[in-house]
Amino acid sequence: MPSENVHLSEHDLVLAADGELPGRRKAQVNAHLETCWQCRERMSSLQGTIAEFVRARNRELNAQIPSASGPRALLRASMAEAASSPSPAWPVFLRLRWPAAPFGRLVMTGAAFLGALLFIVVVFQSTVSAEGPKPRCAITPGEARPITLKEVCDYAGAEVISRDIPLDMQRKVFAEYGIKDPKANQFEVDYLITPDLGGTESIRNLWPQPYSAHWNARVKDKLEERLHELVCSGKLDLETAQHDIATDWIAAYRKYVGSN
Amino acid sequence: MAADTSASLGFSITDTGHASKPSRIEDEVVSLFEQLRAPVLRYLLSFGIPVPDAEEVLQDVFLKLFQHLRQGKSRANLQGWIFRVAHNEVLKCRQRTRRHSSRFTHLPEFFDVASDPGPGPEESLAATQRRLGLLAVVRALPEQDRCCLSLRAEGLRYREIAEVVGISIGSVAASLEKSLSRLTRSEQT
Repeated sequence: MPSENVHLSEHDLVLAADGELPGRRKAQVNAHLETCWQCRERMSSLQGTIAEFVRARNRELNAQIPSASGPRALLRASMAEAASSPSPAWPVFLRLRWPAAPFGRLVMTGAAFLGALLFIVVVFQSTVSAEGPKPRCAITPGEARPITLKEVCDYAGAEVISRDIPLDMQRKVFAEYGIKDPKANQFEVDYLITPDLGGTESIRNLWPQPYSAHWNARVKDKLEERLHELVCSGKLDLETAQHDIATDWIAAYRKYVGSN
Repeated sequence: MAADTSASLGFSITDTGHASKPSRIEDEVVSLFEQLRAPVLRYLLSFGIPVPDAEEVLQDVFLKLFQHLRQGKSRANLQGWIFRVAHNEVLKCRQRTRRHSSRFTHLPEFFDVASDPGPGPEESLAATQRRLGLLAVVRALPEQDRCCLSLRAEGLRYREIAEVVGISIGSVAASLEKSLSRLTRSEQT
């Protein structure tokens, strides 16, 4: 129980203001606030700041939001169009469920991990010699983290994707490729295996992709979306998708998307 | 909170495993669109993308929601799901825009003062300055802190924010504490 003379930390005040304190601590903090004018004043100031911020933010952003009628009609039209195509529901045999039993989970996790390890070894031994829009295999063989089909597909589009690649990492990639003083409008450091398919933010999975190339990042985006779709519809297994995009993404594009 | 929201919106929180009829799902998606359009758009705009881009991302998000429900996938915490997909889609949108346009050769401005609607008739000069001061502090925050603050302003709980941004609940608490401390200090000066 906190003494009345020991004031609440900023941490406790913020958690209390947000209703995020665990039960017992909540009672202690409330008891302190009842007796301590100083902490009550701090809490009041904090609440005032939150209210001011929300008002300022809403005023700023609400002014930019157009009427909903047009977007609502567009959404209805898009859904009607999508509904006219066959349901993308998975075949029954591919509806993998996360096992309830701990042993089942262990087996499934282990299988996914071994699969990813096997994939990394296979990719590491493959060769890609072309320059330009393709990475050099010795530097960028492609690397994937252990990931299950469920993680890839169950939350399609809802997975946590990597944020912008840190500048330090980008510099390392340029250095590995011997590119000195890269111009911002010439290259983009890109993932070889997209994070959507389990690709990591490791130097083994990043390479400088030239904007000027015919086979550029935008084209690769199409391939990534297509592979994700194929994997999640059960038409292609995840390891093959990872392997093919890492080995020769242009050949993979021709194979899975068509000619560019 | 989001699970409660789903319940209040009349959605079951159990995964039936069966695809529902498209017309019923369309109505459900439109109902969610109407309720969450403004909160999600505000969140998307806080990344500094133009309004048309934000609208486009929003359409993608709700179309993905339609497909998600059509496949009979989980209806648990649909609000959290929507913000999570919106977060990912806006990052992808910004990466694409940076690749193909010179519009974002510099980091986008958050709460660009140029778009400020200006003081209303009831707002004093001091209040305007205070408001703009707060927005300037927010603009100077690291992007992750801005995300946490924006999501909290839209009513998401720490657990949900952690899932959307991809960090721990402790990191969310630390981020909000830091941001609120800066905002409070700016109010006092």
